[in-house]
Parts: sequence; structure tokens; C-alpha cells
Amino acid sequence: MNNRLILSIAIPALLTTLLVVMSLAITVGAANINWQDVWLIVFAELPYIHQWIEPSWSDSTETIVLDIRMPRVILAAIVGAALALAGAIYQGVLRNPLADPFILGVSSGASFGAALVFAFGFQVVWLGKFTLPVVAFMFGFGTLMVVYFLARIGQKVRMETIILAGVVVQAFIGACLSLVMALANEQLQTIVFWMMGSLTLTDWSYNQIVLPIILICSIIALFYARELNMLGLGEEVAHHSGVSVEKTRFYLLILASIMTGAAVSVSGAIGFVGLVVPHIIRLIVGADYRLILPLSIFGGAIFLVGADTLARVLMAPRELPLGIITAFLGAPFFAYLLRRTKREYF
Amino acid sequence: MITIENVSKQVENKWLLNDVSFKVDEGACIGLIGPNGAGKSTLMKLLSGLEEPTSGTVKVLGKEAGKWSVKKLAQKVSVLTQDGLSPYPMTVYDAVLMGRYPHLSFFQREGTEDYKRVENVLSMTGLDSFRNQMLDTLSGGERQRVAIAKAMVQEPEVLLLDEPTSYLDIGYQVNVLNLVKEWQNRDQLTVLMVLHDLNLAAQYCDQLVLMNNGEVIKQGTSEEIIEADTLQTVYQTKPEIIRHPKSNIPQILL
Repeated sequence: MNNRLILSIAIPALLTTLLVVMSLAITVGAANINWQDVWLIVFAELPYIHQWIEPSWSDSTETIVLDIRMPRVILAAIVGAALALAGAIYQGVLRNPLADPFILGVSSGASFGAALVFAFGFQVVWLGKFTLPVVAFMFGFGTLMVVYFLARIGQKVRMETIILAGVVVQAFIGACLSLVMALANEQLQTIVFWMMGSLTLTDWSYNQIVLPIILICSIIALFYARELNMLGLGEEVAHHSGVSVEKTRFYLLILASIMTGAAVSVSGAIGFVGLVVPHIIRLIVGADYRLILPLSIFGGAIFLVGADTLARVLMAPRELPLGIITAFLGAPFFAYLLRRTKREYF
Repeated sequence: MITIENVSKQVENKWLLNDVSFKVDEGACIGLIGPNGAGKSTLMKLLSGLEEPTSGTVKVLGKEAGKWSVKKLAQKVSVLTQDGLSPYPMTVYDAVLMGRYPHLSFFQREGTEDYKRVENVLSMTGLDSFRNQMLDTLSGGERQRVAIAKAMVQEPEVLLLDEPTSYLDIGYQVNVLNLVKEWQNRDQLTVLMVLHDLNLAAQYCDQLVLMNNGEVIKQGTSEEIIEADTLQTVYQTKPEIIRHPKSNIPQILL
């Protein structure tokens, strides 16, 4: 089947699934809201359409839908999409099936930054409540830069070297992080909870800063699908076919890391999405990045919206860390697919 | 087409190439031969812009290889290596289509013209029935044929081959070189190939360049190069030279 056909079937199907999962996610919680109301409330907010909709719900329902659950569900979709796409890119660039968005230390750096903010309670005046995401992002991105330039020998960066550099830098930052945690007795729980990933602290403003960043990076990244395929055929083959290998890899790592950094800065380090979702997509559609990249976006969004909903309701009113749910769901499903697949796929 | 002038290449303390000079004219087919470590592959890397010479100039179509942008160079020069395409789970069709990459801008997708070219090449190389097969299900020889098809779709003016037949059985060796030769005659292609098999080199190349220890030892026709004493100085073994019964080209026996 050719790619265009696959995409023209898969994208509408996944988009519909995403919308269904999102609307279901909005319905569940301490107050149950039926899904018709969810859609009506959303439509009532849209220009032109709102005049045909007669409000039949209470103000509190509207507040819960629009101001509490919706921003969170949408943020889960954005973060999931970003992590899955970034994971697919890392796996393609590093040509390593174990690569995930955190392999080069972006999340360790971000966690360290976040831990500093929590532990010492500082706030940059002009950043206000965005201090945490901004500091986390800067630390995450800074870590990637350190890893990249550590791995750079002459003009070239070997992929094995960069993975090793990532391991080394992560070990060091891990130690720094542990130190901060050891010193931060009162805030310890907040830090641990954040590190396991969580979307508890959300309102629309987080969406507004993260969405444009991730959207722009995703669109650019989608254009790189062809180059990722060529890198799959081998570094030299890619060079001989006209791909500037070093430049392309650098740009792709930057794009993926900006997305990861942005996602981690608002949600903490949610593991497994970036590792498992691209693999699941790859197992289903094959190794062509023209399919893997766009489908990972949807797969990641659906996966994380579902996982976050479970995190909210499984032990309600207590909330579970999202990272636990993603691993609980992702690992067995991935294991099942891996056993079922007979041919090599990476 | 290709001018190599006083080229030397040093890596760490070792000189891989030492003051190498020769030319390849348009439409010529030159064979680069010599023992392991002679510097043949290094020379190919300089020509394809993968590496830069320590001194001297390597010019492709009048411009230094390293000065071309990677994409522009790929419009002019196709390269076929002994490893060819890796056994990646991608269809033959998609792999061949990638040959169009250097002719497309970053945002441009392949169009009807590009598909037409791929169709053409697939039938010329006899790969029509393989089009939906995955590269990882093909044999080394079949993959090498896909690599040639991809190089053809690239529509270069120069073709560089670095031991394209090393891992292939005799059937595929001849098959691959015949494809190259047909292509060369059809499009006035300029070909420079590294070959280990001296008999194939003598049969398929107009001229041979014999290298040893990073230097050019001798350049000439197969008559001049495939000669017992010359080969002995380079390979440390004296072969018997006989004539091919049909083409009368010199061939070696060990």
C-alpha cells in the first residue's frame, strides 16, 4: 500500500480516536459530566456556532470542563505528541532502538533545574509562575549542548560517542540532582512527584506557551522524514545522496530536544511514551519515517491522554504519577507486539 | 572531468596519499587498482567530498570537491561503495526514488517526472518485479543492483565505484559491471572505479591507474599495466599473464 493511502486512512482514524478519547477524558473525574454536554460546551465557545446552542448545563459544569479538565487534557495531548515525535527522531538520528527523548540528558537537566526551583523556592520576578518551566527548559537544553559538544571530535559527531557522552553527563547531573534532593527535606516529595511526571499544575497559560513551540518544531521535523530514511540506509549512502549528514543530525537533535524540553518543563519527565509509541507505530507500519513521524504524533497524544485519565481516576481522589501509568501500560503492550512480530523492523 | 593534482593526505602520522596526480577525461572509464592500503579508497573519499586532502587539489567538474555543497555534488556525482545500501526495511522502489533527492529542494516532494524516471530505471535494471520487496530480504548482489538503480536515478555526470563487486559471486560481478558499462555508453558517463579483481579491471576499463603505498606507480592501458614484472613490484607475487581467447585482453593467472 502506498504511503499517501495509508496516511489518508490512518490520520482521520487517529484524529477521530484522539477526539473521542479526549472527550471521554473530560467526562470522568470527581464530578461526572456526560459527553454530550462536553461537546456542547466546547461548541458554545466557538464563533458563529454558539448562537444555535442553548445552554442546558450549570456554570460549575462549564468551569470544570473549560477551565479545569480541558486545559489538562489538551496539554496531555500536546506533551504526548511531542515526546513520541521526539522519540521517533532520536531513534532515527542515533540509529538506536533504545533511544528515547531522555537519552541525551534533556530530562535529567530539566529535572535538576526544576529541583533547584523547588528546593530553594526562588522565582524570577518577570517570569512569575513560568519560572519552573523556563528554568527546567534552559537546564534541559543546556545539558544537550554540553553532551553534543563533548561528543564532537573535529567537525564530526559519532553517534556512539554522543550516546556515551549522554550517559556520562546524565550520571553527573543525576548526582547533582540527588544532592539537591538530599538537601531539600521539605520539598522532597514535590520533587519526586514532578520527576515521575504529572500534569496536575495546569491551566490554559501552559498550553499557550508550549503549543506554539511544539507545533512549529513538529512541522519542521515532518519535512525531515526523507532525510531520516536516508540516514537509515547508512551514513555514507546519505552523504552520497546529497544529505549533509552532520548538519541534518544537528538540526534534528535540536528540534527533538526543544520539543522534549518544552514538554518536560510543564509535565516533568514522563517516561516510556517517547520510547514505546514510535516502536509501536514502527511495528505496525514499517520503517518509513514519512509514516512514523506523523503517526507518532497522534499515537503519543492518544496514549498520554488515556494514561493521564487513568492516573486521575484509578485511585481517586488520589492522583498517581503519570510516569507509573505510562510504564504500566506501555511495557506489556510493547512486549506483546515484540513477541508477535517475526521480522526485523528496526 | 576529474583532476587530481599533487594530492597528499595525512591521517595522524601516516601518509595515506603522497603527491598523487592524474586526470579522468569526460566519458572515460578508469580503473584504480593496487594492493590493500594503496590509498584507493582514500582517494574516493576525497572525490566524494567525505574528506579533504591535506595538500593539493581534487577537482570535480572544475571545482574542488570539498567546495561543492553536499547536495550540488550529489547532482553531479554518484557513488557506489562495496557495502552498498544497508539491509534496511525499505522497499526497492523507495530506495531508488531517493536518488532524486539531490534534485529536490527541502520542501519539494517528488513529482510525476521523478516517478517516471524511477519507472524507467527499474525496467532498465530488471528490478521491476522487485519493486515492493524490502531491502533486508534481498541478497547482497540484488541490493547492489538497487544501489546502481538509485545512482542512475540520480542522473550524475560522474560515477565513482569503490569495489562494487567485492562481495558478489561471478554472476553478479559481471551483471553489475555490465549495467555500469551500458549506462556509461548510453549517457557518456565518466567512470572511475576501484577494483580488486585485475581481470575485471582489464576487461571493463579503458585505462588503469596502478597505486601502491599512497602513490601512483603507473598509468596506462591494460596492455601496459597488466604485465608480470610491474605487478610483481606492487603485489609481491609474480602472476602468469595470458590472453583472453575472445577479446585478446591480458588476464592474470596465479
